[in-house]
Amino acid sequence: MDEDSPPPPPPNEASPPPPPVAVSGSPTDFLKGVVGKRVIVRLTSGVDYRGILSCLDGYMNIALEQTEEHVNGSVTNRYGDAFIRGNNVLYISAAEPL
Amino acid sequence: MDSNASGIQEPFDLIRLSLSERVFVKLRGDREVVGILHAYDGHMNLILSDVEETIMIVDPIEGSPNSEGTVKVAKRKMNMLFVRGDGVILVSPPSRT
Repeated sequence: MDEDSPPPPPPNEASPPPPPVAVSGSPTDFLKGVVGKRVIVRLTSGVDYRGILSCLDGYMNIALEQTEEHVNGSVTNRYGDAFIRGNNVLYISAAEPL
Repeated sequence: MDSNASGIQEPFDLIRLSLSERVFVKLRGDREVVGILHAYDGHMNLILSDVEETIMIVDPIEGSPNSEGTVKVAKRKMNMLFVRGDGVILVSPPSRT
């Protein structure tokens, strides 16, 4: 507790690395969890699509419902349904608590 | 399992349900096309008929700090069109009710 050396001594016993965060799960688990939820999909072009994630596939092709297209913070288009080709996707962000 | 109200299990179902319907397609290079969807494949190569293409041409104003500029819109019509899949950004079917 009251040791003065700045670098803490490494533990000698082989301790397994702790899990990074409390919420566990793989990227796939995240994606399964957000199906049916409101999401924000950002494309590499910087355009955002906000809507309800209907489903997605292994290419990260995405089907969205009630989609709003946002460019520079303003709504530029609305689609009842939208298919987004996966190669354009930068990220998928959950827009509501999981 | 998939208690999806729309009955869609994979994204391509959205496209399959739009065959013979007029669809909106957003393409790379600030282009959009609207046409009747006749065929597609896993690359999202598309065959469209009765097509109108809209091309947005942005002229940046010189000296303007903002990236805003005058946008010119060009339109052209085509009877039959093959769209290579890698140019596709988004496909929107007609609104289902």
